[in-house]
Amino acid sequence: MASHPVVVIGAGPAGLTAAYELGKNSSSSLILEAGKQVGGISQTVNYRDFRFDIGGHRFFSKVPMVTELWNEILGDNFLLRPRISRIHYNQHFFDYPLKATNALAGLGVVEALLVCFSYAKTKVFPNAQEDNFEQWVINRFGYRLYQIFFKTYTEKVWGISCTEISADWAAQRIKNLSLKEAVRNALLGQRGGKKGEIVTSLIEQFHYPRLGPGMMWERCEELVAGFGSQTLKGIKVERIRHRHGLVDCVSGRASSGEHVEFEGSDFVSTMPLRELIEAMDPQPPAKVVEAALGLRYRDYLTVVLVVNCEDVFPDNWIYIHSPEVKMGRIQNYKNWSPYMVPDPSRTSLGLEYFLWDKDDEWTWSNDRLIEFGTRECAQLGLINPRDVEDGTVVRMEKAYPVYDHHYQDHVRTIREYLETFSNLQTIGRNGLHRYNNQDHSMVTGVYAARNIMGETHHDVWAVNTEKEYHEEGRATSVNVGDRMVPMRVKEYVDELPMENEEELIEIVFAKLDPVALGVAVGTVSGLLILIGTVILVLKGGPVVGPNLSLLGNFLIGFQVTWGGSLVGFLEGGIGGFAIGYSGASLRNWSMKAYAQFIRWREEANRRRNLLD
Amino acid sequence: MGTDSKSNEELSRVVAKIQGGVLAVVCGLMGGLGLFIMTIWLLLEGGEQVGSHLQLLSNFFIGYSVTWKGSLLGLFYGALTGGVLGWTIGFIYNRVVGIRGR
Repeated sequence: MASHPVVVIGAGPAGLTAAYELGKNSSSSLILEAGKQVGGISQTVNYRDFRFDIGGHRFFSKVPMVTELWNEILGDNFLLRPRISRIHYNQHFFDYPLKATNALAGLGVVEALLVCFSYAKTKVFPNAQEDNFEQWVINRFGYRLYQIFFKTYTEKVWGISCTEISADWAAQRIKNLSLKEAVRNALLGQRGGKKGEIVTSLIEQFHYPRLGPGMMWERCEELVAGFGSQTLKGIKVERIRHRHGLVDCVSGRASSGEHVEFEGSDFVSTMPLRELIEAMDPQPPAKVVEAALGLRYRDYLTVVLVVNCEDVFPDNWIYIHSPEVKMGRIQNYKNWSPYMVPDPSRTSLGLEYFLWDKDDEWTWSNDRLIEFGTRECAQLGLINPRDVEDGTVVRMEKAYPVYDHHYQDHVRTIREYLETFSNLQTIGRNGLHRYNNQDHSMVTGVYAARNIMGETHHDVWAVNTEKEYHEEGRATSVNVGDRMVPMRVKEYVDELPMENEEELIEIVFAKLDPVALGVAVGTVSGLLILIGTVILVLKGGPVVGPNLSLLGNFLIGFQVTWGGSLVGFLEGGIGGFAIGYSGASLRNWSMKAYAQFIRWREEANRRRNLLD
Repeated sequence: MGTDSKSNEELSRVVAKIQGGVLAVVCGLMGGLGLFIMTIWLLLEGGEQVGSHLQLLSNFFIGYSVTWKGSLLGLFYGALTGGVLGWTIGFIYNRVVGIRGR
């Protein structure tokens, strides 16, 4: 039995990042990977020099720490690529992110009118409840747009009705922005991008490794090996032995069938929570096992077609909403990077199917799936079947954790159980049962490593949730894009520190105190009338202050007399108070209305990317 | 609306203070230039009784009249009065904010 200080289960982005962070701090680890290749769902598969992803992975993060890691690992191997994506529906292509004019033009006059009526109706009579995805989308787009652009695709991806999908899934991607966050983004720009530059939109272009995302993780594996860590592939962990709140050993089976065991002092798992709980030895309490069994995962299958055609379509990917085919999305890998194909006269397409492992298609032979995919592509009018020269199939189990109505309760139960172990952490998409991007997974890996190194405790479960914790431990509601990430204040190097930005917004949008301004303007107004009246009374004359006495039209009982001066002071003061109070309130209201307008505009912009 | 969402709505928890000096300068400029321009305007318009109503300000501003010389005095008086008013508003506002913030 081999012994290592840290055993990491899974060589995906989370696991490898944890090992990398440990290695940088002179702590070696053993990484156990069940597959033949590192990278998890971010791997790049090589089939006869045609490279393809498991889905598309744009490299964009709002977390400077992640962009720094990407640069450290891959250096200048990134390409800046234009993004083109569309929706295929009812034999039409629609620009995606949605553009109102393009969408309405593509739908035709009658449908466009119905869409507008449906949207207006929703705005007047919104759903009172927003428990499920359907209600959430309808409240923002109207019923008809939901039916056309969200329902079929979402149900293809998740395999369940939109009414069964928790609204969390959408809300996690399109968080309610705080006013301050919206204003900061609008006035100071959003932080992000590969080099941490200010990015106002990730709609038009993105960074991508020259040879696909797998390049990142293959390189990371090499670097981790350089730190003295070891990655063992083909090791399927089946048992996690624990005693007295400590895990001491994991065991499993190598691809050769040999039984293997590894001891360690700390353990980091990226295994799906369901498998992890099943592997715990001794078994957890029944309610924990029951919760684990209640978690669901969507499986993913891609049929890769090599087509003898230089330009099939210009998009990086197309969403296939058309209900007549089972395909959910189609990738054109050479449009992600020209280096993904060995021959520029050929194109490799990835036909993506979202399945349950119990579905018939999951067990179909590769040949049958290639034939099926070719037929669907031809049906959509994308290729000529005779141009298909070759193909392959890749299956990825448990690619997507399902957000149904019960997952939160299940995850809470499991988390409470796992927190009883002091040397076991779960990270990554499946380790937390959270629909994270690879940057979120990487953050959880870094946090886990830092926890092992004895730094201030980082809560890996808080990554990509509404409430994030800064290093100072201050709970802060942040929103930084399509998925939530923690904003690590101390990580900013060449940027304006966040505290200063906060202060700046606090100062710029500071409220006027209506009562104070009312008192100030009221006092000055009253005094002005009082002094003016007194001066005229003292000067005297046959008719005292005939013009000033006209104020009596507005100030009841006012005259240019000693008594009138007091009436003028009082009533002028009240009038001045009203003016000052209203002025301050109006100014405050205007500033807030301006901020709300900015937020509405940004949220509308984000909703356009909901399918990504 | 719960406490959380309420605080989420908050754009700024800071109550602004008014810089009395700045408000004095702004109000002074507005008052001085305002009276100066109004006087000149009436002079340029001309007529039998030039600026009979504006002339009433002489009740308060000693020596002021709707003349070229009076326009300069008006500039001075307007600036002085505007400045004093601006500074006073700022002073009182800040004091009240201070009292209310205790």
